[in-house]
Amino acid sequence: MRWRFALAMCCGLLPAVARADDPKPAEKLTKFEIPYRLTDTKHVLVRVKINGKGPFNLILDTGAPALFLTKQVAKKADIEVDDKGWGAIGKFEFEGGLKVDKARAHVTDIVQVDGMNGLGIAGVELHGMIGYEVLARFRIQYDFTADKLLFEPLVGFTPPPPEKIDAKGGDDIQTMGPLVKMISALLGIKPNFEIAPRGFVGIEFDEVDGAVVIKKVLSGSPAEKAGFKTGDTIAEIKAYTIESGKDLAKALAKAGVGTKLRFTIKRGDKTEEITIELGKGL
Amino acid sequence: MNAAGKLILVAGLILSAATVQAQTPPRERKEPEKKLREKPITVPFELLKSRHMALQVKINGKGPYRLIFDTGAPTNLINTKLAKEAGVVKKEDKGGFGLFGMAGGKTIDTLEIGDVKLEKVQVMVMDHPTVTAISNALGPIDGIVGFPFFARFKTTIDYQKKELTFEPNGYEPGDAIQALMDKMMSAQKGKQEPAIVAPAALWGFGIDKDNSDEEPGVVVKDVLAGSPSAIGGLKAGDRLLTIDGRWTDTIGDTFTAVSLVRPGRAVTVIVKRNGKEVKLTVKPVKGA
Repeated sequence: MRWRFALAMCCGLLPAVARADDPKPAEKLTKFEIPYRLTDTKHVLVRVKINGKGPFNLILDTGAPALFLTKQVAKKADIEVDDKGWGAIGKFEFEGGLKVDKARAHVTDIVQVDGMNGLGIAGVELHGMIGYEVLARFRIQYDFTADKLLFEPLVGFTPPPPEKIDAKGGDDIQTMGPLVKMISALLGIKPNFEIAPRGFVGIEFDEVDGAVVIKKVLSGSPAEKAGFKTGDTIAEIKAYTIESGKDLAKALAKAGVGTKLRFTIKRGDKTEEITIELGKGL
Repeated sequence: MNAAGKLILVAGLILSAATVQAQTPPRERKEPEKKLREKPITVPFELLKSRHMALQVKINGKGPYRLIFDTGAPTNLINTKLAKEAGVVKKEDKGGFGLFGMAGGKTIDTLEIGDVKLEKVQVMVMDHPTVTAISNALGPIDGIVGFPFFARFKTTIDYQKKELTFEPNGYEPGDAIQALMDKMMSAQKGKQEPAIVAPAALWGFGIDKDNSDEEPGVVVKDVLAGSPSAIGGLKAGDRLLTIDGRWTDTIGDTFTAVSLVRPGRAVTVIVKRNGKEVKLTVKPVKGA
């Protein structure tokens, strides 16, 4: 085990070897579509599974020389860390199906990640960042008008490893750690990264001349139980006037499962009120 | 590896946001910038020993200066020396320089990288200690080019050719500093409720997952007759693995995935059915 570990460390920067789950010789994949999200702090976030664990939320960061993971992630993913803080990774898989061979991680608690998590300002819990050692193996296209990034393995290219530079004072930023923690304590912020599903109605609608008209009521849905009918126009939800799908989405945005909402609908010449209890589903 | 190789500036941002919050009212929003010509421009970069990418950048016609290109930086950043030389801040300006010379958000009139020219670019003025450290070790580096620049383009990074390619895509990156400040201002004290995530369209099925279930995917509970997912071939009992390439390992994950699929867009849905992976196509519709 030990020699294998050592070997993996030496070969931390082998050429990229990426493969599809089910390689078909006829249609060889040369580009991988990698789903991403932008955090509230405008970081490019992707998800990975490490040694089958996760998914973990990592930032794509060309400003980082290597893959950085928090200690907690290393523990969860069974990464064995050496006395210099490095750990070899057996399986590293991006959401979207791209697998990276012979990756290694620097395991450390970085102030920037701690700070953002402490305040919850990214809007999502962060587990580290993917830096040069992994990113340089791919030609990567970032386009925030598209919903995927494109990763193209640079076959046969070995990125030169980072060289040790004598940079004094570069750790000063790390001294901000306690300060950031103090700020979050002072502000009294306790972020919650959990998410809850919005409640389910069960209607298909059309937007017709500034009105939202029910096109179909799904059978077995909360909307059917509450008595909505095809052709009903949704005029109001609680105090919100509904004139578009956007209005409807806004009115429902914070309504979780089990929320009771009063809808005002127009059916023919009549105006009626229907109260619906939102269900589970999507 | 020296930790100085690590270069992100969020801690700085947090600090500036926190300080600004206490001192000044929110800044005005910037106007959207002019549309650029629509052809891709390729710019060479220098790969530093620290393996950062360095670009030659002209600021307000001055320079070129050597700046690091950093996809992990939510703002552009220049040091106080450059800021004064290029007239981003006034030479005699002493106010606002706090920790690490931070002067918060400023505006550059023109920023040029090769044939790429942007006007009215947001920048943070700060003597970032990591930038200073790298600069001391590897020769002058005066700042960082980050998200507000490259988000405006379809940006391709090629470490083999040592090239960046920028093709205008019409994306408006907004103001990261302002967004951070808003976020800090609206941050609630105490324990927050979980955020509610809404599907962007109607699919017509339910999901479930036991707490003890640690396998990938969620269980499809019911598929409503005539719904987009029924039309797409989804069945109760299927194990839902991905929607549009995104893992659906928890109920929260699944809702996040469907929050990103607009009505009318047909996407691939992968399920496990009788031990085999089955690829379906589902086109969710306008609904709730």
